[in-house]
Amino acid sequence: MTDTSSLPGPLAGVRVLELADETGQFCGKLVGDLGADVIKIEPPGGEPCRRIGPFVDDIPHPERSLSFWYYNTSKRGITLDIGSADGRDLFRRLAATADVVLETFRPGRLASLGYDYAALSRQNPGLILCSLTPFGQTGPWRDYLSSDLLHMAAGGEMASSGYDETDVPSAPPIAPGGGNAWHMGCHFAYMAIMAALVHRTASGRGQYIDVSIHEACALTTESAIASYIYRGEVLQRHTGRHHAAGPSPRTQFRARDGNYVCALVGGRLNPKYILELADLLDTNGMAGDLRDPKYQDQAVITANSSHIIDGLVAGFIASLPAEEVYHRAQERGFTWGAVRAPEQLLGDPHLFDRGFWKEVAHPELSSSFTYPGEGAIYNGSPWRISRRAPLIGEHNAEILCGELALSIGELRMLMENRAI
Amino acid sequence: MEEVARMKALAGIRVVDFSWVRAGPWATRWLGAFGAEIIKIEWPENERGRLPSTTTPQHLDVNLNTSGNFNDTNVNKKSLSLNVRTAKGLDIVKRLIAVSDIVIENFSSRVLRNWGLGYEEQRKIKPDIVYVSMSGYGHTGRHHHYTTFGPVAQAVSGLTFLSGLPDRPPAGWGWSYMDDTGGLAGAMCALTGLYRRNMTGQGQHIDLSQMVAGVPLVGPALLDFTVNGRGLRRPGYPPGNRALWPGAPLTANYRGGPTVAPHNAYRTDPGGYNDWCVIVCQSDEEWRRLVEVMDAPVWAEQEKFATVTGRLQHQEELDEQIETWTRTLGKYAVTEQCQAAGVRALPVQSAEDRVEHDPQLRQREMYLEMEHPALGRYKVQNAPFKLSKTPATNSMPSPMIGEHTREIVEGLLGLTHDELRAGFADGTFWPAQRARFPYQEEMLR
Repeated sequence: MTDTSSLPGPLAGVRVLELADETGQFCGKLVGDLGADVIKIEPPGGEPCRRIGPFVDDIPHPERSLSFWYYNTSKRGITLDIGSADGRDLFRRLAATADVVLETFRPGRLASLGYDYAALSRQNPGLILCSLTPFGQTGPWRDYLSSDLLHMAAGGEMASSGYDETDVPSAPPIAPGGGNAWHMGCHFAYMAIMAALVHRTASGRGQYIDVSIHEACALTTESAIASYIYRGEVLQRHTGRHHAAGPSPRTQFRARDGNYVCALVGGRLNPKYILELADLLDTNGMAGDLRDPKYQDQAVITANSSHIIDGLVAGFIASLPAEEVYHRAQERGFTWGAVRAPEQLLGDPHLFDRGFWKEVAHPELSSSFTYPGEGAIYNGSPWRISRRAPLIGEHNAEILCGELALSIGELRMLMENRAI
Repeated sequence: MEEVARMKALAGIRVVDFSWVRAGPWATRWLGAFGAEIIKIEWPENERGRLPSTTTPQHLDVNLNTSGNFNDTNVNKKSLSLNVRTAKGLDIVKRLIAVSDIVIENFSSRVLRNWGLGYEEQRKIKPDIVYVSMSGYGHTGRHHHYTTFGPVAQAVSGLTFLSGLPDRPPAGWGWSYMDDTGGLAGAMCALTGLYRRNMTGQGQHIDLSQMVAGVPLVGPALLDFTVNGRGLRRPGYPPGNRALWPGAPLTANYRGGPTVAPHNAYRTDPGGYNDWCVIVCQSDEEWRRLVEVMDAPVWAEQEKFATVTGRLQHQEELDEQIETWTRTLGKYAVTEQCQAAGVRALPVQSAEDRVEHDPQLRQREMYLEMEHPALGRYKVQNAPFKLSKTPATNSMPSPMIGEHTREIVEGLLGLTHDELRAGFADGTFWPAQRARFPYQEEMLR
């Protein structure tokens, strides 16, 4: 393998100014880890989402938020009160050097400071300004407050996720965790920014982009919308498997160690599959009557699908640890997987082979920590975490003095006046 | 406002699209929305995406051209029916790659290489080609031959575990989230590779894994483990819709927000399957506003609910009491009353709610009708972003299978009409023994 550690990332040379809270910081990470020069502009004292846990050693502190650490890799950080006259001026000067400005202010805030797209593009016609907000810049919900849970509700994720009545009676719809409303919004925002950057390579012109997290979430329930539009169906929630208009066979089974396995069997049962399944189940001597020639008749299979799925498959999975079932099944061509808790991923040899885990230095703590890496390997222009998340105002002098040519005296004056 | 010509961001970009089922087609749908010419290569004998269809309108026959979900997933594309597993078909593919910018596929990890179309071969044909492979486990790593569907990618990457009630089986994701998100990741790779190509003149192979792409979505939880040694297999996790399960130690919620109460879903009038509203108070101030909205009932004025610590401590009683109020109102009424007072609340919305009742999505024109030749007139999902100069609006319905075969083969690649007819006769452009659709008869005249 060739050493690619010194090659630039695919977005090398792109400068992004990020004025983003917890809703948009992931987008800055996406571009930063691919090589863009991301300058995160925080309010004096630090961005409020530094208060979101968990914290290093459980000591709450704005420099110890692991949530902030994770979503702000590969960025430099400055502090700026863009509501102050000095702050506005410095922002304007920085925006003149940028390819992209990403902002998550409430609709109208940036314009009220004098920085709508028309103003910013006058001094920098190639600039791309992306506003990423909960509901977009227009519409009756434009000024509504939100949160991840609220987006999971209104976007339709909750209406699709939950339990069979027989598993958990009267269960509410369940909002999957992990802060995925922000991921959904940021993925779409990234795409729109990239399309605008590609367009700029041909036209030389930037543009304004209005991204709505609510719309991103509403687009992310696979066939739920199509089932309604084309058939008028409203789907039911099922334990650990797809929403559906009617009953469906279960796909989640408890293994010997108490963990679960996702085994997609229903809908695939045919004579050839039965023989392959018998081979798999026999690896633990549990094929039962599957080799009986009667199962080479599709009608018999269909009539006995509950015996096969809820009896034999469930019994086989219950006889082994979940990871063991996962690998035995996959090695024989079955698309099954273990339901893992995230901490189990650290020992995954496949992720190791892909160089997935990254050691990120935190010199201020004289330590380094293991971070998750990339879903896609960019051969020839590697993804990388170029630095840990910035400390509050860490690059004030480097950027404001080094690039905008402020003197140390001016920097001190701005600090004293709370402009930075 | 200055007058600007409305054009497409990816005008002039051509994509050879081998993708099928959902994740790959969801990726190229967005490249198409940005204006790239998407040439979807399909073969009716081993097609996966059009059939089996559970979204064909009740009044139509199920066939290759009547899947509603296929239509929504494949707008803005052209279809070339081609048997790639023949020498002649492979030659056509190579001619197509020679005049294209991007190749994208979501087959198992060795399929394209086995066809003689791995990245090294592709770049011989088109030196600056951007090749995005979207296999389940990627082309690199010892489990590259493992396969995924969305639910398996979600399970193995840790995403499924984040969803559910404590001491119950995982509730998981009620759909293939990693087909949706894996699709976006594919589009993101293609756009990024294209930008780099435009800037440097270099192509590349981008090796996306659907399973691995799920792992970065559990980042803060992973850091809680790698830094603090705290795993998610612990009492009270996952906490349902709450930020913290009652009685569980005060740990983080990984939802990208503060650990607070109330933070839950509440039943609303008239108590139907999707009659729920979620309410979150992120500060004592927001809680006081909610108390006002509820008309300051006696129970809510109790000292124990005045602080976030108290509300977390007495969460079960708090949630019960809030629900006695929400049950008296419809979910949109709860939403409007709360939001008018500065309280975070939104309804749980089914697909029907989003399409028919969501005033925001209606005003933003999320669902606009398009005419499809086999399906008729139906609403299609639009983009969640509005680009001022290059709008990503839908321009074409999904293609009928092989609808653009003549246009591509004769118009783009310069084959003669006789060669097209010969290709239909010898099974290159359509199985020789298979019945043809009327539009195919038309293109053979």
